[in-house]
Amino acid sequence: MMRFPANRLFCLALLLMVIPVAACGTPVTRSLSTAEPGAGEIFIVSLSIEGITLGGVVETLPDGYTFAGTEHPDDRVLVRGQKIAFAVMNDTSITYSVKAPASGSGDITGEWEDFIAESHGQVAASHVAVDGIEAPGVGNPSTTEVQAGSPYTALIAVAGLLLVAYRGDRR
Amino acid sequence: MNRHLLLATALLLLVATASATGIPGDADGNRVLDRSEYTAAVLTYLVGEGDLTRTDIQDAAWVYARWDGRPLEITDSSGQTLTLSRPLRRVVTFTGESLETLRSIGFDMEKVVAVDKYSHEKSTFFPECGGKANVGSIWSPDMERVLTLRPDAVFLYATISTTACDEIQQKLEASSPGIRVLRFDCFKPATYPEEIRTIAAATGCEDRGDEFISFYKSVMDGIRAGTADIPDDEKTRVYFEYWTDYKTFASGSGYNEKLEIAGGYNPFAGESAEYPEIDPEAVIVSNPEVVVKLTGQKLAAGGYVGHDIAALEATRSAILKRPGWTRLDAVADDRVYVIHSDILGGAQHFIGTAYLAKWFYPDRFADLDPNAIHQRYLTEFQGLDFDLASEGAFVYP
Repeated sequence: MMRFPANRLFCLALLLMVIPVAACGTPVTRSLSTAEPGAGEIFIVSLSIEGITLGGVVETLPDGYTFAGTEHPDDRVLVRGQKIAFAVMNDTSITYSVKAPASGSGDITGEWEDFIAESHGQVAASHVAVDGIEAPGVGNPSTTEVQAGSPYTALIAVAGLLLVAYRGDRR
Repeated sequence: MNRHLLLATALLLLVATASATGIPGDADGNRVLDRSEYTAAVLTYLVGEGDLTRTDIQDAAWVYARWDGRPLEITDSSGQTLTLSRPLRRVVTFTGESLETLRSIGFDMEKVVAVDKYSHEKSTFFPECGGKANVGSIWSPDMERVLTLRPDAVFLYATISTTACDEIQQKLEASSPGIRVLRFDCFKPATYPEEIRTIAAATGCEDRGDEFISFYKSVMDGIRAGTADIPDDEKTRVYFEYWTDYKTFASGSGYNEKLEIAGGYNPFAGESAEYPEIDPEAVIVSNPEVVVKLTGQKLAAGGYVGHDIAALEATRSAILKRPGWTRLDAVADDRVYVIHSDILGGAQHFIGTAYLAKWFYPDRFADLDPNAIHQRYLTEFQGLDFDLASEGAFVYP
C-alpha cells in the first residue's frame, strides 16, 4: 500500500489553498514601459482592466516618484500625494505617466474596486528602480502585504511546497 | 425588552435612517446623481477622503447604473407609491409568498435578514431561512426584533389581513422613517405577473424576473387559451372543498379565480360569503362532475414535508364514504382528487391550476404535464434539490 506521510498531506492541503489564488487572477493588471527608468525619466504605466463596469483603481507611487499626467478624463482622476485615483466606467485600460526621481527604488502598488460586483482587491505590485539601482529606505511600506496576494507569490509558494513534499518523500 | 429599550432602539434608528435617506453622493441634494457627482464621490472615497463608505459608493454605483442616477419609484399592490434611493440590502419578509418570489427572481437571499415564523418552520422548502431571524407572524409580529435588525425594506400582504398589515406598517414607519414597506400578495393570478415585475425592478433582478414571468405566463396563458372557447353551459361542474369539510369558496376568492381559469364551473360561486359552509345535501344536488379536496392545513401531511401519499389517499377515501356520494357523477367516474395547498394557495398556484385544468379537461390538456412544470420550478427557479419522484406529496391520485 502506498504510504502518504503527514507532511505531504499538509503540503497538498496548502497547495489546494494556494492554487486558486494563482489561478483566479485579478481584473486589473499593471505593466510598465520600463522598470528601470533613468534619473528624471518619464515612463508609462498601463493598467489593463477586465469586466469592471463601474469601479475604481487607486495607485500608490513610491516616494520620490511623481505623477506626470494621463489621458484618462480629467474629471475621473484625483491625485493626492503619492496616490492617484481613477474612476472606472467601462474602461478596459488606463495609462498614466510617472516621472522618476534622481535615484530611488520601490513598488507601485494599487487597489481596485468593482462597485457593481461588490468586490475589491489589490493590483500586483510593480517594482521600479532608477537605473536599476536599488536604494534601500526608499520604497512602499505596504509592499509585503501586496506581494502576499500576487500570482507570482503563489507560484513561488507552490514551487516551495513541492520541494518540501519531494524532500519529505526521500526521507 | 421593555418599553424604554424599544424607545431607545427607535431613536437610534431614527438617527441612522436620517443619514441613510437620499442617494449617496448626491452632493447638491437635487435627488439626481449625475455623472460628475458620482465620479467625485468615487474619487474622494478612493483616496480616503469624505464620509462615504464602500457600501455607500456601491449603492451610488447601483443607482447610477441601474436607475439612471434617479430614485426608483414603484407602486405596490396596495396602491402606494414608494421611492427607493438605494438598493435593498436588508429585507424582512412577513409573507412566504413574497419570500418565495424573491427567490424565484434570483434575489440574493443573504440580503433577507428575517422571515415570518411559517417560512422559518419550512425547513425543506426554505432551508436557507432556518438560520435567519424569526419575526413572528402578521398577527403576532415581533416588532422589537424587526427594528433591531435595521431592515431597509419589509414585505407585507397587500389585500389580505389588511388590518394586521396596516398596523405593522404604521408602527414601522413611525419608528423608522427610512424604512420601505412593500405590500404584495404574490398569490393572485390577476396580479402576480405585475407583482413579479415590480419586485424585480425594486431589487435589480429584472432579467431573472422576466425569465420567471415568461415561465409563469407560459403555463397560465396556455391554460387560459385551452379553456377560452368552452361555453359556460359546457364547463366542467366542480365541487371544490376547502380544508374544512363542506366549506367551499365563492366568486371573489383567490381559489375561485384559479378554478375559473382552469375552466371549471363552481355551482356555489354565487354564495354571499367568500368561504361559505354548504349544506351536504346541496352538494349532492349540484352533482359535480369533479370533486377537488384541499389538504395541507397547518403543515399537516403532504406538501413538501415527506413523501406521504398515504395521507392524501386516506383523505380521498374518507370523502368517498360520505352518505349519498355514490350518486355523484364525480364519484361514479372516479374524478375525485386531493390537492395540497402548497401548490394552489400561494406563489405556486400556477402548478395547482395546471392540475385542475388537466383534471377538468383531460383531452384538451393531454400534453400538459403539471409534474414537469412543478419540477422545473423547483429546480430552475427555486434552486432546490428536490426530486418530486421520491419527495413530497401534492396530489392524489
